[in-house]
Amino acid sequence: MRRLFLAGTAAILLSAAAAAAGAASYTADPQQSRLEFVGVQAGAEFKGVFHKFTANVDFAPDTLAASRIEVQIDMNSVDSRDTDRDTTIRGKDIFDVAHNPTAHYVTKTITKTATGFSAVGALTLHGVTKDVPIDFQFVPAAAGATLTGKAKLNRLDFGVGQGDWKSTENVGDGVKINFSLVLKPKT
Amino acid sequence: MPNQSPPTRYSAVAQGFHWIIAALIVVQFSLGWTAEFLPIGARKLARLDWHKSFGMTILTLAVLRLLWRLFNRPPELPPGMTKFERQAARATHVLFYVFLFVMPLTGWMMSSAKNYSVSWFHQFTWPNLIGPNEQAFNLLRSTHDTLSWLLFAVAILHILAALKHHFWNKDDVLKRMLPFTKSEKRS
Repeated sequence: MRRLFLAGTAAILLSAAAAAAGAASYTADPQQSRLEFVGVQAGAEFKGVFHKFTANVDFAPDTLAASRIEVQIDMNSVDSRDTDRDTTIRGKDIFDVAHNPTAHYVTKTITKTATGFSAVGALTLHGVTKDVPIDFQFVPAAAGATLTGKAKLNRLDFGVGQGDWKSTENVGDGVKINFSLVLKPKT
Repeated sequence: MPNQSPPTRYSAVAQGFHWIIAALIVVQFSLGWTAEFLPIGARKLARLDWHKSFGMTILTLAVLRLLWRLFNRPPELPPGMTKFERQAARATHVLFYVFLFVMPLTGWMMSSAKNYSVSWFHQFTWPNLIGPNEQAFNLLRSTHDTLSWLLFAVAILHILAALKHHFWNKDDVLKRMLPFTKSEKRS
């Protein structure tokens, strides 16, 4: 009985070690990686990016249980190619960067799909944490990998848009997220 | 019939173009000039949203109107007008056609330069004419603004001239553009 217990413990430890070893660790190259959002304003889509974000990725296609994606976003680095709009977005009625300077995303579960992978993760945005699913592709490259994907969320779920901006007449609720991370192995 | 004599009245189509576009231009002035004094925010966005949708409507009507005008001659100016008056009338009408294109186009380009794509009543989005460019936006904005004053001046001249024809010359220049009226046949 005791031997069986030891064997079992050893097996669990070994598999955990294998999983940890199997899921390689990466960071996103800030120069080449891109985090884009697409909102709807006055009935038309507009695109913006976050220039500053960090991403830490532990990933191996065959050890998904040990894989995770974690992203931290500097909300001040929002750029929608219009300073008026960026100032408004940073303000207290929308991102309120003075009180919520960062957003954070970390996956809870990752599963294989027909076309790639999907994950459910917790997004903390504007001080509110909610689950947001993402779909992505993971393509190993010579020195690292690329991780590209997309997500959809409703800004009002996170209280993004107070006062006049609560209305979805001028600014739509749905926001699309597109990301493309160029991953380098962690040293 | 080859040598068809010119019509004595504007046709229903010509009148339709004239009065619908005229009404839309009045709406455009009230939306555009009042939006300019609103602070950046949801109300300004909403007003400019309508302004853009109506502007694109005018541009579409202008294309149709110009095409229609190329194949349909208008009634002739009344006899007795001096050469200068004829030239002034002609110049005013040509200017109006120029405004019907240049006003919406500069507005459309303004929106493109500021990365606010133009929607048509939230039904579809027009393509951007130029990329985001703040300098171009500032130049286009002052052009659009200055031209709006010029258009206003030409419109006042046009209205005064029509009233002068009607009340002073007592000819049918105004009446032949009015629906539900009859113009006297000239021999």
